[in-house]
Amino acid sequence: MEQKAPAIEIQNVVKRFGAVTALDGVSFEVARGELFFLLGPSGCGKTTLLRILAGLEKPDTGNLLFNGRDVAGLAPHERGAPMVFQNYALWPHLTVGENIAFGLVERRMLRSEITQRLESVMDRVGLKGMADRLPGQLSGGQQQRVVLARALVLNPQVILLDEPLSNLDAKLRAEMREEIERLHATTRITFIYVTHDQVEALTLADRMIVMNQGRVAAMGRPADLYHRPPNLFCAEFLGEANILEGRVVGGDGERVWVETALGAWHALPRGARVGDRVRMVIRPENIGPVSEHETSAPNRFEATIRRVRMNGATLTLLLEAGEHEFRATLLNRPGLELVPGLRRTWTVDPSAAIALPWE
Amino acid sequence: MRDWRWNSWVWMSLIILFLGVFLVWPLAHVFIRSCTDEHGFTLVYLRALISDPAQLRAIGNSLMIAAWVTAGCFVVALPLAWLFARRSFPGKTLLAGLLLTPMILPPFVGAVGIKMMFARSGALSTLLMNLGWVTGPVDWLGRFPLAGIVALEVLHLFPILYLNLVAALANIDPGLEEAAANLGASPARVFGRVTIPLAMPGIFAGLILVFIWSFTELGTPLVFGMRQILPVMIYDGVANIGTNPMGYAQVVLLLVLSGFGFWMGKRISRGRRSVATLGRMSVGRVERPLSWPALLMVWGGVGLLVTIAILPHLSVILLAVGRRWFLTVLPEGYTLDFFHRALTFELTRTALVNSLVLSVCASLLDVLLGFGIAWLCVRRRVIGADLLDALAMIPLAVPGIVIAFGYMGLFPRLFPHTLMDPRFNPMLLLAAGYAIRRLPFMVRAAHAGLEQVNRSYEEAAANLGATPFRVVWRITLPLIAANLLAGVILCFSFAMLEVSDSLILAQTESYYPITKAIYALMDGLENGVNVAAALGVWAMALLAAGLLWATALLGKKIGQMFRVG
Repeated sequence: MEQKAPAIEIQNVVKRFGAVTALDGVSFEVARGELFFLLGPSGCGKTTLLRILAGLEKPDTGNLLFNGRDVAGLAPHERGAPMVFQNYALWPHLTVGENIAFGLVERRMLRSEITQRLESVMDRVGLKGMADRLPGQLSGGQQQRVVLARALVLNPQVILLDEPLSNLDAKLRAEMREEIERLHATTRITFIYVTHDQVEALTLADRMIVMNQGRVAAMGRPADLYHRPPNLFCAEFLGEANILEGRVVGGDGERVWVETALGAWHALPRGARVGDRVRMVIRPENIGPVSEHETSAPNRFEATIRRVRMNGATLTLLLEAGEHEFRATLLNRPGLELVPGLRRTWTVDPSAAIALPWE
Repeated sequence: MRDWRWNSWVWMSLIILFLGVFLVWPLAHVFIRSCTDEHGFTLVYLRALISDPAQLRAIGNSLMIAAWVTAGCFVVALPLAWLFARRSFPGKTLLAGLLLTPMILPPFVGAVGIKMMFARSGALSTLLMNLGWVTGPVDWLGRFPLAGIVALEVLHLFPILYLNLVAALANIDPGLEEAAANLGASPARVFGRVTIPLAMPGIFAGLILVFIWSFTELGTPLVFGMRQILPVMIYDGVANIGTNPMGYAQVVLLLVLSGFGFWMGKRISRGRRSVATLGRMSVGRVERPLSWPALLMVWGGVGLLVTIAILPHLSVILLAVGRRWFLTVLPEGYTLDFFHRALTFELTRTALVNSLVLSVCASLLDVLLGFGIAWLCVRRRVIGADLLDALAMIPLAVPGIVIAFGYMGLFPRLFPHTLMDPRFNPMLLLAAGYAIRRLPFMVRAAHAGLEQVNRSYEEAAANLGATPFRVVWRITLPLIAANLLAGVILCFSFAMLEVSDSLILAQTESYYPITKAIYALMDGLENGVNVAAALGVWAMALLAAGLLWATALLGKKIGQMFRVG
């Protein structure tokens, strides 16, 4: 019988450490085979949540279901949810091979099968011929691969990853990010991935939750959350956000009209209704120059360039419009004559101005 | 929900049972007997203790010995510690190792050799007569018995204080001293106003330990024939333990005094410990090299000290290889016969075997208990585990003689003719006594090991499917093996030459451990002293090997094993 239950269900989980509430009623579901991200700043409870999934912490209240089965009472070794630890936790007294085969040995597997699985997984993660080394003799990237192999070799239903790339330098991080993506794509194991790095989450996630102070601030697909953040926290955590305050004065069902200090704007509402005070979120890359004569463009405003910073592929401009400051990001092309002091007209597409209710 | 922590409670119960029977119960028994008679509570025995001049003299003698020994150790150890903690010079490692050698022989065995050297007919007397400085033989020990005891114990105990002081000095953030110098303090003022106050907890901890150990030392005065010493009087009272409650009063006095010292040491070191190392060291310590003249002085001074300190050992070795050493400076001839006899002679051979068996059993017991306690404390954080930890530290403050006295007073009466009756077979109680006495070292070693092992190693193992038992077996134990091994070696070494338990509990020859056999041989058959010395040398060699091994495993941490706080 094909199971219809989600791979993981978290229902209303609460966890307190003394006076600190680490998790304050967290609920979500993860579908089978998903690459699911828990994203949030440090101290938001995401690692605690992962440790609860692994059975290393016990929730105070709430339910925990794997494939529809309650696992809250299971000890860590009975969960079958191998974890990739942030500090790797590679046992220094065991060789690479012994580290990877650890879980198989604990499952009382036949020696021949262990050997075979070990070879296959080491091949797959690019560690061929390193079985007899000690973890201390490996580079950071190789250690990371051993930790992944140690989890993958069990062929589990779910793998938990706790900030797996945080100990690597930028170049290796990009490389391992692709490696994890590839491994997920080929195995279709459910991955639950904890990180504070929004780039990792945006590039890799099928779906994710953004956590703040023990609560789920937002849940959804990366593109949706980035382009149409449901709240200010999510907007600011996932990328840079310009804020323009105003009041909703009307709408047509799809868009709203917002009265601001920079005139009347058209925006996409996220729960904002007529009469509400709102904050509009505008991503820097959605602000662009427009010809003075193109009067049909909506959301126009005059601003002076205060600073120009070249990042390589892009330019970041600091714009000043009255009392407001905006950051704008443009593609860097030759011949762009944007210099400090230049005053001109700018525009924002109405679907890129998100009106959020005042919090 | 299944509770997968039931095994903590099994462990905990077993440990509590063992500590309860072999530590708490005997101590409680001693206390109760000291202040009750057939009519109930009474202070008559304790009052008698402090009103009898003979008793008071014994207490006074003991306190005086302890005070002199402590002072002597301090004078020897402080400059050494400063030198080794703050200066670098060639041969430092070698000298530091040599400084620890005096620890490898209980002063009681050394006393056997020293007695021969300083006796009326001994080496010193003869040497002085040959030189014509004195006219007739002089009994040096008979003239200055207390001085002999003090000197021997200083030579034995100063390394303990030295280890404590080095650790205390090394723990001080050099930045604090540099700040004082920068604000205008001369080196001497820095030492007096910054270094010493910051090192005070460590200094005090070491002083207290030395005071307690010398106050309760039984073997040395016994060999020198000093009867007017509190521990010796207790020993002499064991024979009529059932009829004379004075022994209990004496034991309680001993216990209260050392317990008080221990408590003071802990209080002082706890209050100030955090000051010396506020977080991480702000700057690295640079050990300054010594100038050539200073180097020569250091080598000469430390060399002389080590020579004097191993004089007892040398005298024991001379005694073991010497053929006739009577009214001569050195023995008349040399032989290895006594070593052979120590291994073949019935009494000594069984003693060696007994001690080996007992030390192995005690060490194994200590591993189980020590690891169990540390694990419950550090990993499981079970309620009451800290109490267990404190309980396991009590033996540091409880003289061995007290525990042995408690066993003798309690168990033979309740369980006659069983393994709990030392008159029937003392092996179980000896093993338990040895284990209890050295348990603090083991708990510390295991504690330190567990705290160094990152928890995520164990979590990862559980996460990948290892049961709690398998986690301990495959991950925790291998990772702290070095610590446990060092603890085992220390336990084993000390058990091999344990004095007070052995002298009191071993009542029949077939169950004598090494130390009791040496004591018995001293005034035994012809050449008994030589055979005793040979036995002592065998034990010394074992102990030296053990300590060297433990030092190699633990490195600088060995000093922390001998601390009160």
